[in-house]
Amino acid sequence: MKKAIKSVIAALLVVSTLAGCSSFTGTQSSGTAAQGESASAGSGKDSITLYLKNEIPTLNQFSASDNIAFAVLNNISEGLYRLDKENQPQPALAKDVTISDDQLTYTFTLRDGLKWSNGEPLTSKDFQFAWLRQMTADARNNYSFIMTDYITNALEYSEGKATADKVGLEAPDDTTLVVHLKAPTPYFLFLTTFVPYFPQNEAFFQKQGDNFGLGKDNLIYSGPFTISQYDAASGVTLVKNDNYWDADNVKISSAKIKIIKEQSTAMNLYKAGQLDRVELSSAEVPSYKEDPEFSTNTIFRTQFLQINTTAEGTKNVNIRKAISCAIDNDLLANTILNNGSEAAVGVVPGTMSSGVTGKKFSSFQNGLKTFDVAKAKEYWKKGVAELGKEPQLSIVLDDDTETKDVGTFIQSQLKDNLGIDVTLDSKTKEARRTLMKSSDYQMGVNAWGADYDDAMTYIQLWADHSVINGFRGNFIDESYDKAISDAKAEVDTEKRAEILASAEKYLISDQTVIVPLYYMGSAYLTKSNVKDLFVTHAGTLELKHVSVQ
Amino acid sequence: MNRYILKRLVYLAVTLLVITTLTFFLMHSLPGTPFDEDKISRLSAAQQQQIYASYGLDKPLYIQFFRYLTNMFKGDFGTSTLYLGMPVSRIVLNRILPSALIGFQAVLFGVVIGLVLGIIAAYRHNTSMDYMTMIISVLGISIPNFVVAALLQYFLGFKLGWFPVAYWESYANSILPSLALSFGVIAQIARFIRTEMLSVLQQDYILMAQSKGLSPAKILVKHALRNSILPVVTILGSIVVNLLTGSLAVESIYSVPGIGSLFVDTIKANDYSTILGLTVFYSAFYVVVILIIDILYCLIDPRIRLASAKE
Repeated sequence: MKKAIKSVIAALLVVSTLAGCSSFTGTQSSGTAAQGESASAGSGKDSITLYLKNEIPTLNQFSASDNIAFAVLNNISEGLYRLDKENQPQPALAKDVTISDDQLTYTFTLRDGLKWSNGEPLTSKDFQFAWLRQMTADARNNYSFIMTDYITNALEYSEGKATADKVGLEAPDDTTLVVHLKAPTPYFLFLTTFVPYFPQNEAFFQKQGDNFGLGKDNLIYSGPFTISQYDAASGVTLVKNDNYWDADNVKISSAKIKIIKEQSTAMNLYKAGQLDRVELSSAEVPSYKEDPEFSTNTIFRTQFLQINTTAEGTKNVNIRKAISCAIDNDLLANTILNNGSEAAVGVVPGTMSSGVTGKKFSSFQNGLKTFDVAKAKEYWKKGVAELGKEPQLSIVLDDDTETKDVGTFIQSQLKDNLGIDVTLDSKTKEARRTLMKSSDYQMGVNAWGADYDDAMTYIQLWADHSVINGFRGNFIDESYDKAISDAKAEVDTEKRAEILASAEKYLISDQTVIVPLYYMGSAYLTKSNVKDLFVTHAGTLELKHVSVQ
Repeated sequence: MNRYILKRLVYLAVTLLVITTLTFFLMHSLPGTPFDEDKISRLSAAQQQQIYASYGLDKPLYIQFFRYLTNMFKGDFGTSTLYLGMPVSRIVLNRILPSALIGFQAVLFGVVIGLVLGIIAAYRHNTSMDYMTMIISVLGISIPNFVVAALLQYFLGFKLGWFPVAYWESYANSILPSLALSFGVIAQIARFIRTEMLSVLQQDYILMAQSKGLSPAKILVKHALRNSILPVVTILGSIVVNLLTGSLAVESIYSVPGIGSLFVDTIKANDYSTILGLTVFYSAFYVVVILIIDILYCLIDPRIRLASAKE
């Protein structure tokens, strides 16, 4: 008896030790080679080490939907166009495009001799296959709208009401791709730089089945890099793709992207020379601001206060205007957040393209959010008189540190400038959304990240009534909706930008449905020998041009 | 004995079923869906319907539940919606190995050092050795492991460069996290052993052993230790489960691809199948460890008989 138990325990010990060992060798076999490189990461000539702040959810392009996955996918695959340092689309797998006069037909010509990483030719059929799949519910990233909104008959195909050959997408020969659009879309080339618009090799994809994207061998590459090591929770190692058409201009031979969730860990690794870039927290920014390695970057993501236009108190437009005028966004961005974020005047970041060559959207924006305490008090008085009593206000917001800081700041601004007490109600993201959708709130801190580089991505949010209206403040306004549909039909880019800018003014200054707060940014330290490493306005990591000196 | 284990295994199955049922319905009462609502709200009603249908989420909850149970019995825990397309069993397996290695080393190191310290403290009762052990033990219990982890990382990793600062690339990467986790174990074990040992050392049979002329080492190991180790085995169960199933804080400090953060991440993302898979896994692990501990009792103290072993 005793012996039996003893042997059982001995066996258990052996098993657990083996489990321990195998865990280890599994990661080690692929890890030791990488470790050799890491010793030279800081000083090496052709390799860099970066990190992501969360695990890689997937590397299947049809499932990927966030900047973590895109950071990898954008560098291992490529679209017709690719964004350059100035965030402008440059020919990539396509060498050229012809746009019809009515701006509804785009004819792309692919480069000659394009190859997948396995040596197979990359043709316009690969685009057709991937785009058609992206339109359907089989694309688990739920990004099908990014195609079905634009391409003719795509929505019908996606809903099963039309067949694939009806979709406005043709591949007459191996290097030509013709796309038919529903309406003029000045930002269509930007869309082709986005991961859901990337090609895929049908034969390879079908062969992999459910395993597609799960491991490095379950992927096929069309971009500047391929993957030599991949673990969702510890990171990827990218190596130069010799079959890439522009391989001569890819200057680094490898890039390691680690997963580091802890800010202090990233900082220690950066100082120890094992990371080439570290993102700074607000608290760290002041001590590094003068450092030559310091830089900041904003992305197209706007934080704003959504006001419910039908709720008690906030249904009064003067109350809404008073709140907007009482909040000092400069103080918020530069003192409270101090992490590279910029004070917002509109919901559309001014650095967005306007569709007019050489003009940013900011040159059309005017009369948006201002900070003016005297005016705020005036509006408040007026609003209170109209309501007959002073309203009790509260704000719902997410429970992460940054958002809570923002909430506390708004609370103190309204106290200082209007003399009112506002309650903060912090919830998990899901609970906050549920509350907002059911219209059970007065104000909520919300955010929107651009899907593409055009003001439409923001402006149309309040005209899209397929969304539960409560979430957008129950703002149902015919003149606003009409402006959006006019803009969508407008071929003249100058006029279109004007319509969009005046719609934004109506939304923010006249109706004050939202109070823009800040454009999200980051502050970094980057090793001085690393050049041309950037994050696009969409927030996507771009490694193609990086060099290490 | 075999019958006893069999009976316990049946209990295990029932426990798991109850836990799965509870978790399933509680989880579905969380607000939100597994999808990014900014995106899903941009789709047409028909498109949204297709997506829900493709995950089987359009069916009534009880049908989803029975479907889950049937698949579970076939060994299919479904695929994750956070790590899209990845089978849950593969995620859990990938993540548990690093956590288990670190946890195993922490328990091993912690128990050995804890035992030694505890024995010394008891044997040299009320001496400076004893006080030092108790100081270590109070510190070990009161300082949270993530503080220890951050300090070890900064001094041994960054300043002195003896160990890697972070990452999971070679065996050396597992040492600092194991050390950080073992502090708490050392403290707990040392305290228990010391208290237990002190009372055992007062017993008559120790006096008897001494008068027989046995060496102090033999008395300590053979007579005192064996009789004072039982409470340690009791707490060992929860220590093992705690450590082998990963530590959120320590793993994120050392960038270990372990299982620690998985639960929190998947709950935040409403990743139903992974939440369930993990719950089943944790519960099964816990119940099995308790069973092993019960068997260990019997081995250490022959006076203890397993409930039905007599039959």
